Amino acid sequence: MPRYGMVMDLDKCNGCNACVIACKVEHNTANTVNFTRILEREIGTYPNANRQFLPVMCNHCEDASCIDVCPTKATYARDKDGIVLVDWDKCIGCGACILACPYEQRFQILDNRTVFPDGQTAFDKPDTNRAPNGVTAKCDLCYHRIDEGKEPACAEACPTDARIFGVVSEDSAEDETPFQNLNDLISRANAFSLLPEKGTKPCVFYVG
Amino acid sequence: MNKAMSEQGAATTAKEDAWVPSVCMGCYNCCGIRVHRVDGRVVNIEGDPEAPNSQGHICAKGKARFLDLYDPDRLLRPLKRTNPEKGLGVDPEWEEISWDEALDTITERLARVLEDDPRKLVIAHFDMPGYGISKAFGAAFGTSNLHWNRADYCGSAPHVANLLLNGSFNGELDFERCRYMVLWGTQLGAIVETIPLHSANKMAEARANGAKLIVIDPFCGNAAAKADEWVPLKPGTDGILALAMLNVLLNEHGLYDAGFLKSFTNGPYLVGADGHYLRDPATDKPLIWDGAAGEARVFDDPALSEPALEGEYTVAGQVGRPAFQVLKGHLEQYTPAEAERITTVPAATIRRLAREFGEAASIGSTVTIDGHELPLRPAGIHFKRGSGAHKGGCHTSLAIHMLNLMVGNLDVPGGQRGVNPVGPFWAPEKDADGMLVPAQHIAKYFKPYPPREPQVPQTLDLNELFPASLFTRGMFAWGISEPEKFGIPYRAEVLLQGRTNLMMNSHNPQAMAETLAKVPFQVSFATFIDETAEFADIVLPDSHDYERWDLFPANDPYAFITPGPGEWYWLMRQQAVAPPGEAKPWTDVYLELADRLGIIDKLYDIGNDIWIIDEQHKLDASTRPSVREIAERQAKTLLGDDFSLDQISDTACMITRAKTIQEAYPRPFLDARVPIYLEHLIDTGEKVKQVTDELGLEWDFRPYTPLLSYFPCHAHEHPDAEYDLFVVNFKIPFITFSLNHNVWIDELAQGNPYTYNVMLNRATAEQKGLEDGDRILIESRYAKGEGTVKVTELIHPECIGIPATLGHWARKLALSKYKGTAFNNFLPAPNVDHIDTLSGQTDSCTRVRVRKI
Repeated sequence: MPRYGMVMDLDKCNGCNACVIACKVEHNTANTVNFTRILEREIGTYPNANRQFLPVMCNHCEDASCIDVCPTKATYARDKDGIVLVDWDKCIGCGACILACPYEQRFQILDNRTVFPDGQTAFDKPDTNRAPNGVTAKCDLCYHRIDEGKEPACAEACPTDARIFGVVSEDSAEDETPFQNLNDLISRANAFSLLPEKGTKPCVFYVG
Repeated sequence: MNKAMSEQGAATTAKEDAWVPSVCMGCYNCCGIRVHRVDGRVVNIEGDPEAPNSQGHICAKGKARFLDLYDPDRLLRPLKRTNPEKGLGVDPEWEEISWDEALDTITERLARVLEDDPRKLVIAHFDMPGYGISKAFGAAFGTSNLHWNRADYCGSAPHVANLLLNGSFNGELDFERCRYMVLWGTQLGAIVETIPLHSANKMAEARANGAKLIVIDPFCGNAAAKADEWVPLKPGTDGILALAMLNVLLNEHGLYDAGFLKSFTNGPYLVGADGHYLRDPATDKPLIWDGAAGEARVFDDPALSEPALEGEYTVAGQVGRPAFQVLKGHLEQYTPAEAERITTVPAATIRRLAREFGEAASIGSTVTIDGHELPLRPAGIHFKRGSGAHKGGCHTSLAIHMLNLMVGNLDVPGGQRGVNPVGPFWAPEKDADGMLVPAQHIAKYFKPYPPREPQVPQTLDLNELFPASLFTRGMFAWGISEPEKFGIPYRAEVLLQGRTNLMMNSHNPQAMAETLAKVPFQVSFATFIDETAEFADIVLPDSHDYERWDLFPANDPYAFITPGPGEWYWLMRQQAVAPPGEAKPWTDVYLELADRLGIIDKLYDIGNDIWIIDEQHKLDASTRPSVREIAERQAKTLLGDDFSLDQISDTACMITRAKTIQEAYPRPFLDARVPIYLEHLIDTGEKVKQVTDELGLEWDFRPYTPLLSYFPCHAHEHPDAEYDLFVVNFKIPFITFSLNHNVWIDELAQGNPYTYNVMLNRATAEQKGLEDGDRILIESRYAKGEGTVKVTELIHPECIGIPATLGHWARKLALSKYKGTAFNNFLPAPNVDHIDTLSGQTDSCTRVRVRKI
């Protein structure tokens, strides 16, 4: 089975935030809810100062702690590719997964109005899974796009190709997936994942 | 309605589902997009993978801006003002009217002007493909007062440097081969600036492949964040930094491309004691000293074999020195130590940067491409508004660009390149002196060279006083306010305005309010009633660009086709959805007004030329062709008779052919020289003086010198102890050239500390007792404003940084109102102390003081 993930090239990310809006559009997420973000910090002191950008999202962990703690089995990994999803019919919004996720990539949906908060939403997007109120939502790696052979919206938008989507498992056969294998990138000396000590085996990697 | 987030959940009940290929207008760059329409509504935008300027990518604002279509604040019906008073904070007391009433009123006002003096009509908008419609309208009507906007923002000075040295309007770097990239007062590659998706992608790739990036800027923006070295300097002092680097290159290291200077510049032209070229009495051609022959020869003498760049020679009793020698000597005054005192960049850094750049250019190296051996100069400097929008902006931009010229990297592999100086149906020419004259199709507006004859202004942008400029749109406010001062024999009577928010993008709002109030009748085309539309007598609901057809191509090659190797591609903006309510594209309204005024036949007649429509496809005015029909004729002219708009399916990007090597790397193939010595300015300046003396105008003639020089901004020349800081503006990748009046963009802005705040260096903040989140009063000599402090290490300590064009105050802009601080508010209205009298560039250097409130 191909396991999907992403490599973030930190050399290339310039903090433009195209990915954040692409995700927002794709998922019609509520105000202040972003399934992907770019964390940013300053380093050094003037004039030897600079900025660093770190794109973050659900790591679609192989040993996901959110799956382990879910009391209703609403959170699950898709059999065919390991994408971690939430079945909103089963989710009771208890928040256990929010506490369990070491990456803070789960969001409780309390008000799912998306665009114009005061009054009727003039904008509506018929083909999108908008999270209902009272559940937990998260990055779904754009599984609906992957199933159509398209990369996730954030990776497609990224002007600098800093987000590289593909297969992170070593054992996938070429005919199983139309997407590139990322193992060469992941095995680079400077490749890392976030919080490896949590033991969740994240599928999002960073280089650069 | 909510679906489970599972594989079964994505079923759709949509009846109609279409992707319409088109062109984005989120900024001026015309990226290829695909508009996703479901059941008549736009639900998504993606980059067009077939369009070389986007390659399937898209930026944050390009993605987000379809929300604007459905914004509850959007204007859907014509309005008229019922309160005759116009001013800041004055409620226009709008009343809805019908289109008939609106157009009747407008036609009546315009008809009076048409009969009286058509020049009294001023057209103000910023709309790339739309310019063709308003230009034809203006020509048919009889006014040259068009395109008042802030195109000088990026602007009037830097473009002149590109036109003189590249023969093109814009510049870029050869990302494929450049190994030492310098950005100077610009954030190319950070989703601002020219062809942003392409340049961001290629610059990131170049960096990943080891190319070095240096960014010279008072603020460490997104571009500097990716740099190997950020070089902060005091704003507005870029000129002396460049001149000092030139001095180091030429006088300390002798690092310059002598071969390039001899063959492709006026460096060897002999300059006499009066500053003019020594000329051959028989032909009047400039002379060059031939070291082999031991005598002077005309510049294009085929027998000329050893052009001298240095020395002093006597020709027919006159002493002459090569222009290069003159410039080299002149540069000695700009020492790194003096530049350090003014810029705060250490002299050692200045020396190191100059040497690194000169060495990286590997002067003398070549590369063979398609069987042609071409110079390889893998180092380049790109510059724009940050360095150029200052009092001495034209000289500063040219001084920076002269660093490129000296290493011979102009329009050759690896170096700096102009945006398409040579194309399928245009090429630069040369004048009698052998100097390059840019193609009109690329210069687009006035050519800065050869200079025009200055005269008493007849146009409200005062262009007649700037005969060596490209455009002087920043001067409209001055001309409209004080026409009599410039001898203009009429006053503005009607203003047709849209898509450029003059109140916020120019200078302090009180001054602009007084200017707008001087125009008796203003019509604004608007999707939102912004600060400028609040001054209108009638506001007409405009369409969004997804809701209109546009002239073809949407991507004019002077700025919007990727330079260097690649293909010639042409993009068509298609209407993806109908405008809501009673909104209409302003272009359609112009055609309707022309019809009502009886000038429509003339408009199409002139339009056939302006729109580049060949004989076979000429428009028949009697059929009243729509914008779509005009575009189709334009496309047939360019793409051939077989083309039809109905053929467009997956992409609106039409590729004609690959670029030739001469188009991709034009410089080695051009038989024309570019200036290192601006001889033409001597006479031009004298002629300008005759006109300004006649008018009794105080004017600044210092920039009319042939030798590149540093002219400090007024704010530097007149230290003002009370106002101890400079205010500096920078761009944000997700807001540039568009509004923050968008829920998603506003959300990004709120989460980004460098957007809605005012940036202050930590040391400066500590000295003033200011902390993160403090509200401050910011005062310049011209205006006051407020802001919220962000303490940072990312800005020069003598500055405050205010990004983008924020801080709206229009009463209808509920979402964006009072968010962020408005940079331009602190600037003075144009006056002789705060403009570059050579290019018409307005100066952005202003001193401010801050205190906690």
